[in-house]
Amino acid sequence: MDIKLSVQSVLTDPKTETQVVLLRADGNKEVMPIWVGVAEGSAIKFALEGILPTRPMTHDLLKNVLDHLGLRVQKVIITEIKNNTYYALVYVESRGSLLSIDARPSDAIALALRTHVPIYAADEVFKQRGGESLDSWLEKLGPKDSGEHTV
Amino acid sequence: MKVRGLMYDPFNNAFIIILRDDQEKEVLPIWIGKPEAGAISFALEGVFTPRPMTHDLIKNILESSNAKVISVVITDLKDNTYFAKIHVFYGDSEYTIDSRPSDAIALALRVDAPIFATEAVIQKHSTEELDRWLDNLRPEDFGKYDA
Repeated sequence: MDIKLSVQSVLTDPKTETQVVLLRADGNKEVMPIWVGVAEGSAIKFALEGILPTRPMTHDLLKNVLDHLGLRVQKVIITEIKNNTYYALVYVESRGSLLSIDARPSDAIALALRTHVPIYAADEVFKQRGGESLDSWLEKLGPKDSGEHTV
Repeated sequence: MKVRGLMYDPFNNAFIIILRDDQEKEVLPIWIGKPEAGAISFALEGVFTPRPMTHDLIKNILESSNAKVISVVITDLKDNTYFAKIHVFYGDSEYTIDSRPSDAIALALRVDAPIFATEAVIQKHSTEELDRWLDNLRPEDFGKYDA
């Protein structure tokens, strides 16, 4: 069983520039945090906030490539976690066949938000989500740092 | 064009990619962002990343769909911004996709596609360069030519 997720927000630790994407399961109060790189974090933020850059950023290019070729993204699934690394698959429909392509969750989410397709996590992955590590990360952030975002 | 270097520009906290033509006559420096510079340097140095980076994902999607990047072309320069096009062959048609040069180059290096610049861009580049040089001249620079 896959659990449908929505992106709640992207938090930034201004000191280390670390970014955390908070995913929330539909009908569930629990969040699943995923640590991502700076570029991927801002790619997700841009999509969430509807910011349209004057020139296509890398994930916009990815979307444009798919659009031009008539390839349709169906969904993205966060499939597993191994050694603290999350794995995802992007499902793309290419001329009648359905391809599943290995991706980092950050790229998969940045693409899903741009193509308006659902984001899922495998049940097992959602169960193992690192809520505790998020708590300790948030504690290290001062109230000022996280002020503009609501958890 | 071939990628001849990647430099850090501390004044603008940006990176510059240096393209040269095969005859080594023309040089095209293009300012790019940090993540794109990283993507280009990984490809130049053949660095293997355990997980696919964004440009690897683009490459993997194209390859899985049997689409092929034919070439990337730096097509225009407007107000200090370079424009590029990615030419992709898929099915029996060719598609042209608008891109920043940094993404186009990062992709071209991964799929071994040739990189071109139009003559117009090279000429415009020289003109804009001259304009910038003239803009930066101060009156005292002309001093020694006083009659």
